[in-house]
Formats: sequence, C-alpha cells, structure tokens
Amino acid sequence: MWRYIAKRLLQTVPVVLGSTLLIYAMVFLQPGDPIVALFGEKPISDAARAQLTAQYNLDQPFLIQWLLFLKGALVGDFGISYSGQPVSDLIGRALPITFQLAVMALIFEAILGVVAGFYAGLRRGRIFDSTMLVVSLVVIAVPIFVLGFMMQLIFGIQLQWVPPTVGSNTSFTNMILPALVLGLVSFAYVLRLTRTSVIENLTADHVRTARAHGVPDGMVNRRHVLRNSMIPVVTFLGADLGALMAGAVVTEGIFNINGIGNLAYQAILRGENPTVVSVVTVMVIIYVVTSLAVDLLYAALDPRIRYA
Amino acid sequence: MTAVATERPLLQIRDLHIAFTSGKKDVPAVRGVDLTVYPGQTVAIVGESGSGKSTTAHAIIDLLPGTGHITGGSIEFDGVDLTSLSARKKRAYRGDRIGLVPQDPMSNLNPLYRVGTQIKEVLEVNDVARGKAADRRVVELLEEAGLGDAESRARQYPHEYSGGMRQRALIAAGLAARPQLLIADEPTSALDVTVQKQILDHLDGLTDELGVAVLLITHDLGLAAERADHLVVMYKGQVVESGPALQILQDPQHPYSQRLINSAPSLRSRRLMARERAEVRAEAAETALEHAEEVIGHGEGPESAGSPSSADAASADEFGGQVSAPVIRTTDLTKVFKLPGKGLAKRDFTAVDAVSFELARGTTTAIVGESGSGKSTVARMVLGLLEPTSGTVEFDGVDITTIRSRAQQLAFRRRVQPVFQNPYASLDPMYSIYRSIEEPLRLHGVGTGKERERKIRDLLDKVSLPAAVMSRYPNELSGGQRQRVAIARALALDPEVVVLDEAVSALDVLVQAQILKLLNDLQAELGLSYLFITHDLAVVRQIADQVLVMQQGRVVEQAGSLEVFDSPREEYTKRLLAAIPGRSVELAS
Repeated sequence: MWRYIAKRLLQTVPVVLGSTLLIYAMVFLQPGDPIVALFGEKPISDAARAQLTAQYNLDQPFLIQWLLFLKGALVGDFGISYSGQPVSDLIGRALPITFQLAVMALIFEAILGVVAGFYAGLRRGRIFDSTMLVVSLVVIAVPIFVLGFMMQLIFGIQLQWVPPTVGSNTSFTNMILPALVLGLVSFAYVLRLTRTSVIENLTADHVRTARAHGVPDGMVNRRHVLRNSMIPVVTFLGADLGALMAGAVVTEGIFNINGIGNLAYQAILRGENPTVVSVVTVMVIIYVVTSLAVDLLYAALDPRIRYA
Repeated sequence: MTAVATERPLLQIRDLHIAFTSGKKDVPAVRGVDLTVYPGQTVAIVGESGSGKSTTAHAIIDLLPGTGHITGGSIEFDGVDLTSLSARKKRAYRGDRIGLVPQDPMSNLNPLYRVGTQIKEVLEVNDVARGKAADRRVVELLEEAGLGDAESRARQYPHEYSGGMRQRALIAAGLAARPQLLIADEPTSALDVTVQKQILDHLDGLTDELGVAVLLITHDLGLAAERADHLVVMYKGQVVESGPALQILQDPQHPYSQRLINSAPSLRSRRLMARERAEVRAEAAETALEHAEEVIGHGEGPESAGSPSSADAASADEFGGQVSAPVIRTTDLTKVFKLPGKGLAKRDFTAVDAVSFELARGTTTAIVGESGSGKSTVARMVLGLLEPTSGTVEFDGVDITTIRSRAQQLAFRRRVQPVFQNPYASLDPMYSIYRSIEEPLRLHGVGTGKERERKIRDLLDKVSLPAAVMSRYPNELSGGQRQRVAIARALALDPEVVVLDEAVSALDVLVQAQILKLLNDLQAELGLSYLFITHDLAVVRQIADQVLVMQQGRVVEQAGSLEVFDSPREEYTKRLLAAIPGRSVELAS
C-alpha cells in the first residue's frame, strides 16, 4: 500500500518536469516582448530595460530560464510577477477561491447527479427517467458559456436572487450560482453514469438472490444496487475535481471571480512566464494528487482492489 | 419419503401458465405445469435450457425476471395461494419460509460485502436474530454448511472464497431462516464433479436433518435420479412426465424422457467401437471415390471430394485400432508461471509439471481434470499459443518451438486447429456465419472466392447445418448450432489435429450427445486426431481412446479409456469416477 503510494508520488516528478518545460517553451515562443507589454504606452529607458532583463533572466536561453525556475520552485519561490508581487502570493490568494468553487460544484453535481440518476435508473423508461435524459442531453449539448450567461441573466439580473457577479466577496451564497454553472455539465455525466450503472446492477444475480433471501426492496436498492453502482461514479467524480479546477476559466470569467483560472488567463495575455508556469505546476500537482486519492478511495469501496 | 402421500402437500402448483411480454404480445414460457412437493420430500425438475424449469421455480418466489408474469393457475404453499397475495405478503415468504440456493456461486454474492454480513442480513430481515446474536449464528451456519474456520471465514469477502466455498456460503444463507422449502436452482452446475458431490452430499444431509423439502432444478438426469425421490421432466414449458425417480429412469414413457435418458452421458456411454468407425470410414471413402469418378467423368478435378485426408482414405492404415506414429508427442512438458509474491520476489507456480503423452493418428486422447489441474495450459502449449518453460511438443516429428518462420507457422496452424468451450464467445458477433468460416480460408489464401464458397457449403453439410445459415449471425443460432459452426470453422483448413478445449461442456445433454456423435463421425470420415480437454469424465467415455487424468499439473493416471473406467488404479481417478452423478442408478436397458 505505502509502496504503491510512494510509487505514484514519484511518478509526479517526470510529469511536473515535462509539463513545466512544455509550458516554458510555449510561452517563450509566444510573439511579443514582455517588457514592452509591461510598460504599455510609457517609454522604456535602457537602464530600466537592462535591469528588468537581468531580474527575470530574459537574456538567458529558455532552458536555463526553466532550470532557474525549477531551482526556485524547489524551495517554494516562484519568482516575482511583472507587476512586482511574489507569484506565490498571487497563487496563494487565487487558489482557495477556485478550490472553494470547484468543491462546491463537485458536491452539487455529486448529490444531484447521484440522486437523480438513482431514481431514473430505478424507474427506467418512466416520465422522470425520460425527462432527466432530455435535460442531461441539453446540458451536455449547449456550450457552458451560453448556460452561464443565461443563468446569470435570469437569476442574477431579472429575479435578483443572487448577485450577478462575485468580485471580491466570495461568500458561500455568492458562489452558489457559479458553482451550479461549473458543475452543470458534470452533473449530466454523473446522472447518466449512475443511471446506467443502477440499471445494470438491478439485474445482477446477487441482487435477485438478496430479494430471494427476503430483503425488502428499498433495502436491496440502497445496500446492493446503489453501493455497487457507486464504483464507476466515484472514479469519475474524483477525476472531475481536477478538471473542474482547470475548467473554471470560463465560469470565473463570466462571474468575475478572481480565481486561478482568471490569474492564468491574464498572465498568458501579458506573457508573464513565471506566473503562467507556476500556476500550471500547481495545477499539475493537484491533479496528480487527486487522481491518487481517487484510486485509494476506489480500493476502499471495492474490496477486490488491492494495491501492492 | 414414502409415507408422505397421506400428508397435506407443502407446495402444490396447479396448471401454472407463465408468459413474457415481447412488444405487445405475451410469449408463453410455461404452459400448464402441475407439481406437488410434500414436506421433507426432494423433487427434481429436469429439462434442458429453455424448458421453463427455472422460470417455474422463480414464479414460486415471485422473482420472475424482466417482463415475466403469471397468466394462469395457482401456486399453493402450505394451504395459501401465493398468486393471490400482495407483493408485500409474497415477500414475507421469501427467505423465511422458502429459501433459494442459486445457480452460479461466482455471481450470487455481493462482491462488496463480507460473506458474514450477507448471511447476517438474511437473519436480520427475517427476524431470526440481531446484532451480536446474529454474528454468532452466522458462524454456526457457516460451520453447519461445512466451512472450516468459520469465524475468520465470515470476515472474508467473496473473492477470497473458492467456488465450492461460495456455494456453501449460499447454502448457509438459503437455510439461515430455516425455511420449509429450499429451491436449489442448478446448485452445483458451475462446480467440479468432486466438489459437486461434496456439496450435494452435504446439502442432502442438512435438508434431511432439518426436514426441509427441496425443489431441485437441474439439467442433469443422473444427478436428479441420485438426489430426488420424485422427478418432473419438463420440455418446452410443459411437464411431459412425472413420477418416482427410479420408475422414470428405468421405464420412461414419454419419447422426450426416453431421448434424454439415452443421451445422458453419465448413464450410458461407451466409445463408438473401432470396428464401427472403420465401417464408417470405408463407406465415406467409397462415396468419395464414387463422387470423384463422377466428377472426373465430367472432365473436372476431384476438388469437391473434400479434404486431402479423405482423398488418401483408401491407403489409410491408422484405423481399426492399428497403431502408427503419433501425430503429437509431448515430452516432459512443463509450464511455470511467475506470480507476484511478498515484496519484490516472485513466486513460482508450476501449472503443468512434466506431462508426457502421445496422440496417435486418427484417435482421441482425452485430458481430464478439475479446474486448476493444468489441462487447458497443456492445450494452449500444444496449440503453440503458449511457450513451454521446458519440455517439447512434437508435431509430426517436429518440435514446434523450432518453428519460427511465418510460413512454417501458418503451415502448422493449418494442420492443428482449436475448438473452444464457449460457442457464444468464440464467434465474432459482427461476422456472418459465412464470413466466420471463410476467415481462415482467406487468411491462408486458399482458393478463389467461388472455390471457398463451395468449400463452406461442403463444411456446413459435414456438420449437418443447412446452407441457409451462411447469411445468418451468431445471435440467431442456438448454442449447439454455434458449436457446429465453430467445428466447421476448425475443419475449414483440413487440419489433421483438432484440439477441443471443453468443446461440449456448455451444451445441453441432448445437444452434447449430437455434437459428440458428429465429432465421432467426422473423425472416422476424415481421419482426424482429437486432443479432447474436459472436466467431465462421463463425456470422455464416449469419445476417447486414451485418457490422461491430471491433478495439480501432474498426470496421475494414463491408460486406455476402458481401463480407466473399468479398473482405475489411482485413488484420485476412483474419486473422480465416484463423483459422476447417477452412476449408482440401475437402468433397465
């Protein structure tokens, strides 16, 4: 077990190295001079240019820049952004916001998706099932920004149930609508996955045998159908947490949330190498750790799975 | 069991009709079944798959699958008509008064819960015991079902159990609430014969002791005869015959029962004699010759005379029990698998240990053993699908591990063909029957399109299938028909050796008998050599000349078929033979 965890954590090393190198190369190849972008319309003195070039190692080949970045990152120093703030501070401020958003979205999609999928599966072919299938199809088919703007218009502006944008006040109530929008597509997938899994398990031999043993229907459904159906769903949910954090860019844009997605987006526009790469590094590590957690959770749910 | 006639019946089924809804129509599955079980009595329903025997049993406990529903008749249990009760009241009978031991132990326990928890559930929902008392009772029940070290077994998960152990756990669960009637639906058909015998003996003992009546559902007539007082033979949803077990076996009235008894391998069976085979062979050669002359008379080559092996039929000497050079010889064949052990170390597992045998041309050598005996591993090595760790497989005098070039490998594959167990899985569902049989021909570049079509017609004819099946797909055929297609496909390249890995094990008795006869006829006609892998000794008797009995990777006995059956030397062989159900039952004929 511990060997397995150690092995998995070691695997993150090449993943982080590879992905940061890739991002470094891409940002380096991006056209435009970051110093010009930084000064905008103002004139740049030669002295200032020389100082900035030295400060951000812009005169070095990009491999050296990358190695210097790694050296810093190892001790938790992600460097200074072009606006003069330490990048670790920027991430430290943005990450909790995105994390809160993603976790809220995950809880929302897990609860609603599993409950709706479970009842749709039990009442296969009835009106609830058909309605849920159509709803999930619409959610999957319509782009997320369309749904996002529509819900912002309806609930935020016309009904005024929630503020239309979040800004700096990231309270629970302010974040409900963005979280719903973010989790909407995954909710549709969770619903469908649960439904299929429930239908499959309803006809399992051991479920029939449980009925033959006299177990009441409700108990059979909860103990033998639902739990067995949860295995693929939990796997999906775990992998989805990473995807939700990365996918928050659009939702954060719509609702003006200063999360990690917004931070990365702004940094890419400005060609801010240290910020972009740092954000990516953090995201990669989060993704790897959550997928490890999912695999361990999987083993807890299914006793047949044992890691050696 | 004899004095019961005066008692009130425990279960009385009268004129039961069951149908499945397909589209808007009702398709009847059970048509007018009558059945009576007295307290403490064992009644067996015998029939092939699709006869409605399981459907009848499931109707009793209101667990008909899918769209199944009762369309008429009554099921009276202890004086109450179950069909008139509400779903909730019917549920009260399940587990508490009518227990079930299901068919497949592998799929009937929930893999996510400990075995003890699942049996405890039965105790709790039927108000037998709760909490700590229930935990203690679980251990008692598992012990009673014959599981050693029950206390720690109760804490294990189903995947840590063997098939036999799971079935014991299911018996424990089925009897947990002390029902008056136990429905045993093919309780041992997925288990090895020796395990089957142990489990059935145990079940017999338990139900006798507890005075539980048993409704045994089985396709195995021998097993039914041995275990039941009363037999009910079902065919196409109807009861065709019912009565005391011995009476039906010795004096069957209905033609279907007669056929069933005649084909049951455990009850009859002798090898088709060498003399008869020689006759079949001579006949085939004659017709082939006539046919060839006819064709030559029309100025064409004898291409439709079939395989090369039947063309050289006249010169054959390998028949009539005469000995010739073996077509396959293995010497000290050994296979060691590496299994993950503790830490980094790998554990060696010897699946096949120094197996040597010969397969004489035109004969059948059977390898018999229980699951895990290594018999299928031998088959895979003979087929060249698995590299032996040591030892050799010689085919026609050539060590097959020395065959390296693609051309030589193709040539080897042409001459040695397999037929596998599951006819549902071994045919590609997306391929038409024609395409399935044509594939090996196309792969080996045999003939033109027209010639291949003629060959396929000829092959279908050989396996007694109408040419019309060519355009059909596997899901439109029955299990027996599919296995015929699989055999036709194996014969497409005119092989010399056919490796049959449990090729008839998944089939109903009647179909099994047909396929065995077909294999026998084809062997006589084409001079084929069979390596026949099976767990079923009863079948071996009908098809094999030589028998190898394997246990845990080793050959424990190797002799002629008659010798093995009539005077087995080894203890293990004797045990296997004793475990064949129905051997003790005397037949009239």
